[in-house]
Amino acid sequence: MTMRNLSESCTRVFRAIWRRGSGRYALTVLGLWMAVAVVSLFWTPQPLLATDGYHVWAAPSAAHPLGTDGTGADVLSWLMAGSRTNLVIAALTVVCSGALGLLLVGLMVSRRAGLGSVTVAVVDALISIPTVLIALLLTVPFGASVGVIVGACSIAYGLNLARVARPAAMLAARSDYVGSAFAGGASGWYAFTRHVVPNIAPVLAVQLSISAGTSVLAEAGLTYLGVGVGAGVPSWGHSLATSVKFINVFPLTVLWPGLVVTLAVVALNLLGDALVRVGEEVAR
Amino acid sequence: MSVEVRGLNVAIDGRPIVRDVDLTVGDGERVGLIGSSGSGKSMIARAMLGLLPRGAEVSGSVLLGGTEVVGAAERDLADLRGRYVGVVFQNPGASLNPVSTVARQIALPLRLHYDLTRAEREERVMAMLAKVGLDESVAGRYPHELSGGQQQRVGIAAALVTSPRFIIADEPTTALDSIIQRQITDLLVSLVDDAGASMLFITHDFSVLARATTRCAVIDDGRVADRGATADLLAAPSTPEARELVESARRLTLDPTLETR
Amino acid sequence: MRFIAHRLLLFAAALFGVSVLVFVALRILPGDVAAVMAGTAATPDRIAALRAQFGLDRPLVVQYLDWAGGLLRGDLGTSALTGRAVVAQVGQRASLTFPLILMSLAVALAIGLPLGCASVLARGRRMRGFLHVVAIVGGAVPALWSGLLLILLFSRGTGLIGIFPSQGFPSEGWRDFGRALASLVLPSVATGIVAGAGIMRYTRAAVGDLVDGGAIDMAMACGMTRTQAVLRVGLRLATPQLVSVVGLTFAQMITGVMVVESLFALPGLGALLIGDVGNRDLIAVQSELFLLAAFFLTLGLVIDLIHRALDPRLRIGAGSGESAARSNGGER
Repeated sequence: MTMRNLSESCTRVFRAIWRRGSGRYALTVLGLWMAVAVVSLFWTPQPLLATDGYHVWAAPSAAHPLGTDGTGADVLSWLMAGSRTNLVIAALTVVCSGALGLLLVGLMVSRRAGLGSVTVAVVDALISIPTVLIALLLTVPFGASVGVIVGACSIAYGLNLARVARPAAMLAARSDYVGSAFAGGASGWYAFTRHVVPNIAPVLAVQLSISAGTSVLAEAGLTYLGVGVGAGVPSWGHSLATSVKFINVFPLTVLWPGLVVTLAVVALNLLGDALVRVGEEVAR
Repeated sequence: MSVEVRGLNVAIDGRPIVRDVDLTVGDGERVGLIGSSGSGKSMIARAMLGLLPRGAEVSGSVLLGGTEVVGAAERDLADLRGRYVGVVFQNPGASLNPVSTVARQIALPLRLHYDLTRAEREERVMAMLAKVGLDESVAGRYPHELSGGQQQRVGIAAALVTSPRFIIADEPTTALDSIIQRQITDLLVSLVDDAGASMLFITHDFSVLARATTRCAVIDDGRVADRGATADLLAAPSTPEARELVESARRLTLDPTLETR
Repeated sequence: MRFIAHRLLLFAAALFGVSVLVFVALRILPGDVAAVMAGTAATPDRIAALRAQFGLDRPLVVQYLDWAGGLLRGDLGTSALTGRAVVAQVGQRASLTFPLILMSLAVALAIGLPLGCASVLARGRRMRGFLHVVAIVGGAVPALWSGLLLILLFSRGTGLIGIFPSQGFPSEGWRDFGRALASLVLPSVATGIVAGAGIMRYTRAAVGDLVDGGAIDMAMACGMTRTQAVLRVGLRLATPQLVSVVGLTFAQMITGVMVVESLFALPGLGALLIGDVGNRDLIAVQSELFLLAAFFLTLGLVIDLIHRALDPRLRIGAGSGESAARSNGGER
């Protein structure tokens, strides 16, 4: 597949997603998310580190549309800056869990039978280990950081991806054209990239978009538990954890960070849905 | 039981699948529907049973022994199915319940429609197994443990256990190889005739049709393209669609590799 | 039988692997375990004492064998912070966390199964769309947020309709059954809603796929209505798959459970683990992490075995093709 082919089919998929109402919502929210992340690099309503000792736990006002936290920092500014961190986490999780998933799928369909069945067994055994345990295991030596979240999510979702993609990959790997490709002297790598990967691409796309959404949820949970992004790093999880303390001060402020997280995750799930439908259309 | 289909139309998601079909099956008669795959013949059978997929629209009339099926309530249709109408499906491997034993599947219509004791049910199931030529030991097995021919015998037993007056056989032999095809067709015909029931037999294969039916209709693109006595249609097809189907059936039956498989 | 033996062997290997992994993760710390445990202000004497107390001056292999041997005997060591046996601590906390998880799962199933079946059975386009939105939005809510919303709505004191306690667990534990149960209601609903949306999606997918298959048609042809066929045949056929899903849901719920434990100030396993990680009580963390991982590996094993028992096609003899291929590979 040449670069031009690839970009053409990407445009086609993009158009097909945009044609559906839910897909349009997904792309709009994701676009907004990225836009806010970029804007927050240059401008936020208040500087992130500006604290206002006179307005601690303040209710929303013109200067602070979502109020201030315990140090008097502006909640809206932190929420905006947080979208950057979450974008990075989601993107890295997609890349790393995709790579791990592909690696595992490659091992599973490997023509060396021993290697394949050992990989299947390892995936089967480890699939039930929760993300949070992996995160805790990583936090102890490395400390809370973005890397821990990305690492934990990538391992958990990579395993899941491998398991979900296995049937399609096996089918492709055992098909006649792979057999004849080998008969013609093709390498395992060639057969994998040319035949197995295109066949699992639809499953991959769907799972990765859902993984991106789940990484946002995981970040929120892990950060609240103190094993997520480090202290002082803006993220939606940080904003959500901060908002918990608002509950006795100004309850309605509690709603905003959670709403942002939910809308973003809904968008990524709908994107996954739209990808399923587009895949079905292409298959027909 | 006689069956009257008048002006039947079926559309799925706005796409017409069956167009203005008229069809009669007399009491005790065996009638065939023949057509290539995708011609809409299975959809006619499904419309007669109220088994159409979601998004299907039906108009026209289907009278099963005087009862109107089109527009009937779900509950009334369910009471009809398995009691007065039996169905044999195309692929028994897919239609038999994989987690239920053979005996339980054959007993299902009895359980749904009649108040029998366990012993009475068992007796009927065993009698039915004998009728379709299966050993009693098959009763406790699961479908995946049987061969394709045995599975279809179970399918026939489940369709006939309540002695329905009308049987719909939707490509009952398509998934089987040719020797088994004949055995299954002959079994179905003899059981239907013994019971004095009528049958609608759907197939795309003229050679099977000749064994199973006396009259038939050729379906093409959702319409009845030709109809008449099966023997006449086979000998002298009058329309191009019928001619094509007959030709391909001849080729198939004369093909020695297929015969000896 | 071969499958079970194979699966048990795999389970044992996985347990061993995880124990090594946990042990190593806690030993590749910058600086040594004793120094980290003692804190930054500790004197060298204190560090040396700790090192001797926990046997940290011995070679790593000896330390590992000592620890693993203890695990096999059911001795998980003592907490450096409280001086209590880790087994006792974990047991006490588990008596809160496990009921919480089970209640969450019950809520999830009570929401997910009926709504999943409803979305398969729904005839109207609008109804299907609505249920779809419910599934998508329900699965996108962070447990922290659903917990907060429940507190705002239903907690005594802060809530609009104050009917449930939202902070703490009775100090008498389950001896005060009513209050203990009441204190777990909001937390289990908070995690159950999210997990329920997942179960709803899977139920719809699993049962929906079957509706296009022949078994539902066959059941209807025998005289069932569509609803009967979906509920009696479809749900039964989807059960093995749904059991697997419930098992995975169990594992995915844990983050949420730990979050709501913290939010509702419940002294459960999550709080213990997070506290020990924060306090650098590494001996306790090591055993606790292993214990939880072992629990989930066991869960995976049980789910696999149930899955197999529920599907006659996979029972002994029938599914030998797959398991034979697997064990062949393993022997090579």
